[in-house]
Order: sequence, then structure tokens, then C-alpha cells
Amino acid sequence: MSGEHGGPAASIAAEVRHVETLLEQRGLVNSAELDTALQAFLARANPANGARVAARAWLDADFRARLLTDANESLADLGLSMGGGLQEQRLKVVQNTEDVHNVIVCTLCSCYPIALLGPSPTWYKSEAYRSRVVREPRAVLAEFGFALDPATAITVWDASAESRYLVLPRRPAGTENLDEHELAALVTRNGLIGVAAI
Amino acid sequence: MTERFAPGERVRTSRVDPSHHTRLPRYARGAVGTVVEIQGSYPLPDDRARGVASEPEPVYTVRFTARELFGGGEHSVTVDVWQTHLRRCDDAGNGNP
Amino acid sequence: MSRINDVGGMQGFPEVGPQADEAPFHSDWEAHVFALNRALIGHGLYSLDEFRDAIERMPPARYLESSYYEKWFHAVTTLLVEKGVLTAAEVAGD
Repeated sequence: MSGEHGGPAASIAAEVRHVETLLEQRGLVNSAELDTALQAFLARANPANGARVAARAWLDADFRARLLTDANESLADLGLSMGGGLQEQRLKVVQNTEDVHNVIVCTLCSCYPIALLGPSPTWYKSEAYRSRVVREPRAVLAEFGFALDPATAITVWDASAESRYLVLPRRPAGTENLDEHELAALVTRNGLIGVAAI
Repeated sequence: MTERFAPGERVRTSRVDPSHHTRLPRYARGAVGTVVEIQGSYPLPDDRARGVASEPEPVYTVRFTARELFGGGEHSVTVDVWQTHLRRCDDAGNGNP
Repeated sequence: MSRINDVGGMQGFPEVGPQADEAPFHSDWEAHVFALNRALIGHGLYSLDEFRDAIERMPPARYLESSYYEKWFHAVTTLLVEKGVLTAAEVAGD
């Protein structure tokens, strides 16, 4: 496929199409079904799910306690599950406090709570983030414009097995009068990964 | 496979350096940490990636200090480790794998 | 020592953020590779561990110069050939 016009991007797009066509001819995949499955998956798995989890946890102490001890079970309260991947994954929610800040990473590949956050951003999968955040997390946070209080300790969670991690950020000050929907609107994907404050 | 370690226990990771797939990162090999929790039991990916039959075994969240892993730093790092790759660590630091 | 994917703690990589572009897919072909891989694992053609292994077996220089979904596509085609679904010549379009 090296004779393609339009540079490397056009070339790999053609290669992917070519392989997909071969698999379709063998009856292994159906392009229309792939499209439908992808759209359905993306509609279900996006950061709004994680934001709802955080907002509920801020408002409901009982939910928060269950979320921190058995996250998978508590997701059902919100009609969510960790089944957005190929099989249901174990979820571990780690709570930020005044004393401890949590950050998640997968140094070996790109493990991520995809059912709650959707496909991960490009930087999360980069060798730069994966190599550096376990060794110098405070410097990496600063590169995201996040100046964490020097008195706050950091725990980095490397998702090297079957669990997926989600950070429960601290509730911002001055939000006492907001409802769950309004709180969820404040929560960002980066906050749920641990590279930003809310 | 039964659980060999309990939360709070000190463990040392294996120094394995296999030529095949493994989920024990290089930076956390041969290091001493503390068991945070037991995640459940899962087949060993070292085997599954090679098509070798594998019984589920306990997986632990293990907390390490940055000082232990990198010789410096104030933070801690948790790594999720299959039981195969863990040994009990006595206080003299002789948890030979 | 370890394979090239095992970068945790390695030094020399550049700064990380802030990122202007955080989109999961930058073009259609990336979404297609994502969907294709899910379908093939879902069909039981190979496991997630075999898929990761196929990425890790990439020659180090190629791993580092490939984008995320280029690595995925490399692994998908590697496994399709190794599992006897397609020949290398077919994948290459010969």
C-alpha cells in the first residue's frame, strides 16, 4: 500500500479499509455492524458518566461510602456499570482529601475506566505521561497547570492488572447550593483522572 | 489458589525478567511494598498471552514508596500484582524470591 | 530487559500537558481500528492478553515512532496473520 497518494495518514486509512474489506469478505466482520456497535458504544461510554458518579458522591454520604468500598455495586444506583468494555471490569474509586491526592495511569499500556470516561485522551496513552507520572507526579501535574499544595501527599495508581481506577475529586468550595446536575456539570475528565482540580 | 497475603503485610515483588508478556512493570520488580487490598482472582496474563491454561489466582494492590522504587521522591505508587510475582518479606529485608 | 512498552519510570520523555487536542479519535480509520479490534476479540479470534503481547513485540524503534492506533493496527494484522486468518501478502495488498 506504499504507493498511496496523500501521505502516511491517507496510506494507513487505506490499509485499514483494505484489511476490513478482507475480513468482511471472509464473513468475520460486517462494516455496517461495526459502525453501529461503535456509535452505540460511544453513546454509552463518555465522561458525563464519571461526572454523575462524582456529583452523587459529593451529595450522598451513603452512596460515597459504598462507592469507595464496592464501586461496581454502587454504580447501579445511577444506572451505570463497568460493562462498557468487552467484559465487566472491577472499578476502584480513590478519594482525594486535603491530605492525599490521587492520580491514575497505566504504565504498561492504556488501561482506563472506559465505561465511565469514554476512550482515553491521547496524552493518557503517551509514553511521556506513562513514564513520568509514576516518577515525578508533581512535575507532571504542574505541566497540566495544576499546582498542588506542597503539603498534600500524592498516590499514583498504576492499573497493571484487572482493576480500573477513577479519582473522586474534592468538592469545590462555594458549591453548597448546587444540585446534582449542576455539580456534575463542573466535573471534568481530567479531574477524574487526577491531573486537574475541580 | 488461596490467598497467601493479607492487607498490611509487607511483600517483595519478584525479580523476574521474562521474554514473554507480563504485567509486572520493570520499575516495580524486586521491590518491597505493603499490601493494600485483595482485588479478587484472575488468570495470570503471562500464561494467557501464550495460550497456556491458567487457574485464577489472587491479585493484590501493593503500595510502594517512591524512595523504594526510584531512590527518591515523597509520593507513593500502587501497582496491581498477581500472587505468582509476590513473596513474603521479613523485616530484615530478606524476602528472597 | 523489559519490552519497549514498559516505560514506567523511564527518563527522557518530554513534557505532557496542557493538551489542546484530547480527542479519542483523530480520524475515521482510528475509530475503525478500535471497532475492528473489539469485534475480533469479541469473536474470540484472540484474547486481550494476546493483543497486548502483539503490541509489546513490536520492534522498539517502530513502537516509539508509531501513534497509538498505528500500534493497534500493527497488532491486529500481526495476530490475523499468526492465527492464519489472512496471509502477510494479503495484508500487504499484494
